[in-house]
Amino acid sequence: MRPFREHKRWRSAKPKVERDRTGRSPAAFALLRALIILMFGALILQLLNLQVIKGDEFKERAEINALREVPLPSARGLILDRHGQPLVQNSARFSAAIVPGDLPDRGEASVYRLLSGIIDVPVQEIEQRVREGVDGQGEFSPAVIKEDIDRDTALVLMELAPHAPGLQVITEPSRRYLTGSLFSHVLGYTGPISAEEYAALERQSYLFQDFIGKSGVEFTYESALRGRPGKKLIEVDAAGRELKVISERRPIDGSNLVLSIDLDLQRKAAEVLNEYAGGSDNAAAAVMDVKTGELLAMVSLPTFDNNVFSGPLSDGDLAALVESPGKPLVNHLIAERYAPGSTFKTIVGAGALQEEVAAPWTTITSRGYITVENEFDPNVIYVYPDWASLGALDFYGGIAMSSNVYFYYLAGGKADEGFRGLGEGKVAEYARAFGFGEPTGIDLPGESPGLVPDAAWKEQTIGEPWTLGDTYNFGIGQGYVASTPLQVLTAISAVANGGELLSPRVVKEFQDSHGNMLEATDRTVRNHVPVDAENLGTLRAAMRQSVTTGVARAAAVPGVEVAGKTGTAEFGPRLSNGKYATHGWFVGFAPYNDPQIAIVVFVQRGGGGADASPAAAKILDFYFNGPRLAQQVDKPQ
Amino acid sequence: MIAGRAARHFDYLLLIVAAALVAYGALLIYSAHLSTYPGGVDLGHPLTKQLIFALLGVSITLAVAWLDYRIFGQMAVGLYAVAVVMLVAVLFIGDSAYGSRRWFTFSGQQVQASEVAKLFVIVALARYLADRQTRIQEIQVFLISLVLAAIPAALVLAEPDMGTAMVFGAVWVGMVLMAGVPPRHVLVLFGLAVSLIPFAMLVVLGEYQRERIRLFFDPNSDPLGGGFNILQAETSIGSGGIFGKGLTEGPQTQLDFLQTSTTDYIFAVLGEELGFIGAVVLLALFTALLFRGIRAATLSRDQFGRLIATGVVIMILFQVFINIAVNIRLVPVTGIPLPFVSQGGSSLVMLFAALGLLEGIVIRHRKIEF
Repeated sequence: MRPFREHKRWRSAKPKVERDRTGRSPAAFALLRALIILMFGALILQLLNLQVIKGDEFKERAEINALREVPLPSARGLILDRHGQPLVQNSARFSAAIVPGDLPDRGEASVYRLLSGIIDVPVQEIEQRVREGVDGQGEFSPAVIKEDIDRDTALVLMELAPHAPGLQVITEPSRRYLTGSLFSHVLGYTGPISAEEYAALERQSYLFQDFIGKSGVEFTYESALRGRPGKKLIEVDAAGRELKVISERRPIDGSNLVLSIDLDLQRKAAEVLNEYAGGSDNAAAAVMDVKTGELLAMVSLPTFDNNVFSGPLSDGDLAALVESPGKPLVNHLIAERYAPGSTFKTIVGAGALQEEVAAPWTTITSRGYITVENEFDPNVIYVYPDWASLGALDFYGGIAMSSNVYFYYLAGGKADEGFRGLGEGKVAEYARAFGFGEPTGIDLPGESPGLVPDAAWKEQTIGEPWTLGDTYNFGIGQGYVASTPLQVLTAISAVANGGELLSPRVVKEFQDSHGNMLEATDRTVRNHVPVDAENLGTLRAAMRQSVTTGVARAAAVPGVEVAGKTGTAEFGPRLSNGKYATHGWFVGFAPYNDPQIAIVVFVQRGGGGADASPAAAKILDFYFNGPRLAQQVDKPQ
Repeated sequence: MIAGRAARHFDYLLLIVAAALVAYGALLIYSAHLSTYPGGVDLGHPLTKQLIFALLGVSITLAVAWLDYRIFGQMAVGLYAVAVVMLVAVLFIGDSAYGSRRWFTFSGQQVQASEVAKLFVIVALARYLADRQTRIQEIQVFLISLVLAAIPAALVLAEPDMGTAMVFGAVWVGMVLMAGVPPRHVLVLFGLAVSLIPFAMLVVLGEYQRERIRLFFDPNSDPLGGGFNILQAETSIGSGGIFGKGLTEGPQTQLDFLQTSTTDYIFAVLGEELGFIGAVVLLALFTALLFRGIRAATLSRDQFGRLIATGVVIMILFQVFINIAVNIRLVPVTGIPLPFVSQGGSSLVMLFAALGLLEGIVIRHRKIEF
């Protein structure tokens, strides 16, 4: 015990003594001073680190902090028919959503109740969706409660949003296709950008929430339709409020597309095709301007309403569309290949004339079939039938009556009679010259190249040698050869226009939002077919005869000289009656003397003369004699 | 006679340094409020209020200094009781803000209970330890002083206000060591506390504090939520560089990226606008203030005064340290105002009252003069 430490008196000894008595004190005060220096020293060190060493880094961070880049979306271009009729509108799609992370701490229930009352979704379901949203994508991504709410409801919710934390209305751009299913294959549709597309397009300032053309011209002309989105750099405060614009690049709206398709003709073609498609899984028709390559109508059946892609589309709905037997999402005019049948005789004919295998007066007699002996065993005889015993035919008659025998001779020859045919190599060569076996280059995605077979191809693919019978089948558009209806159409257009193989297209020109023409699409000549004008003239005359007196008489149209070629191509397994199911084809052009347009009609289950020809006639009749007659007069001839 | 003596010994420098700190703070408060009060300073401006409180504070300093500080020794039991009652009451009837209950409202004026309690507890502890100077080595004295400090600290922790609880702890450690408690007692207690950390993490700390500790280590885990202030304060201070961007010129401050920029985060305003130089000036002022406080302790005629002065110095030191350390991301977030600088009436008034205690000690120091 140290009694002197007791503080009994307030004044006792001298200060010096007092200090000595509390011996620890001077050292303790020194320690306390040292503690101050030490603690403040630690602060100074960290300040040096932040302000002097990392100062520049934080300066940059502070600058970025107050700046935001805000995208300024450009309006997507519209699409019009060739006469300026609008085919699509821009609109918005609204969805009610909840951002779970923004919900008030103990007030979720009131927000749910509020939302439930407006969009008519039970509170339990809202809770459920919010929970799913949190599990699936975290607290700060909006969980969609109801898609596709109507505009008025959306406006009510937008008004309420500032007072109901967590509530959000999602607005997405949407396309409304005014003609429903009529233009679906041509226009295509847009959809949210996929991860792969985003990765490929990020440099072109696409955003993750952007919509992008997925098929049709929406896809092909994406960049023209989209325009160039702008952006602005703004200074914001901590709440994200815009304080001032630092720089701005205005968006450039997308161009409008003017299709070459004529709305009225398209409607008529669809109507006629529906009428004649009968029990077909699918059918297709197209009308093409033979001088420019512009398509005036393009119909593929069955079709679908592309507006379904603008709204919420369940996986089930999509699967139903994809798996439907007629494959409605597929544009059968360009994406599917079929045996061209007798329409292919025009190509073989052109080649035979050019190679001097045949002349217009070359006469061959059809007894209804020809026979070929097996190379190794003369007792085995193969029979190649004609559709009838047509008798003696010259070149015109061969085309007009669509004699198979005639074209067996031209393609494969008849050795025992000393008739030299083209041979499979030449047939393939002319087929390719007329555009078969490769895409036509149309401005739509998903084109099939078709198939032009030859000996090398067969050896490689099937592993068997090419036979004479293969050449016979090839000569009448059967067997391995396959083409899209559009390939047949462009080939005949080349016949009609004097030998220019054109790339077909559905877009005629680009316009700005005020309707001023910006740029016309180019007429593209893919190839000059290696057939003399004289020979093409002979072929055209033969096709004319086919409509006047031949098997394509059903394609005749009063007042218009139509020329054409039917095709009835067998496909699939032999039926119980020993026959095959057939594709019906008609391909032709008009007027005969000054060809303006070419037409193809394809009916997947039908006949060339019975179904495709009359369908073509009705479409041609509408084009030349129909309600559009008055306007046709003004057309420069 | 006492008046003349008081005037002669009064530590003018102490008060001047404190006034300089208030003025320094006033500049920062003005700058930080520029966007909310673009009309300039008028009667409703927080700056006006702050200066009024500062004047009130100075008069309290004078009043407390004039009263003999030993009177507070007589009142120590009462003061302690008041402190505890206030801290209990605030848990039930206090106003809550930012997730904790710390304030009473008296006729429109918010009073932070723990600010008042801190000073009262210092006085009570000083009295208790000074009275038991002869028995200071006894473990019993040590433990009772611990309980005296732990009760208010626990109540503050319950608000929850981790920072102020830590200030209580630091003040207690400083005072018992200064009173002559064997350092090994403190070391043993410290060892015990460290071994209890895992337990404390689970039981004592609420979700609120655990979240703050998690955010301290990874503020980017929630950059727009809990981590926002941490990141923005760091960015503000760092971007100030050596010389700062100039008063009222800091975009982080002026565009409201800093929240509570006149209270807990006022140092970030200083860091951004006045830079490293400005921060060093601030720390120099605090060093001067604290050294003057230690001087008061060394001059004290008695143990009671010495302990009060020690308590006040440590209280201010830890508040300054914790506040700035939070701003520059050295410790997890805990809301503590920067003494004399932050906007806030109760803090300012109590700090000036504490200065009054120091002044009272100085003017009554031992030197006998005739």
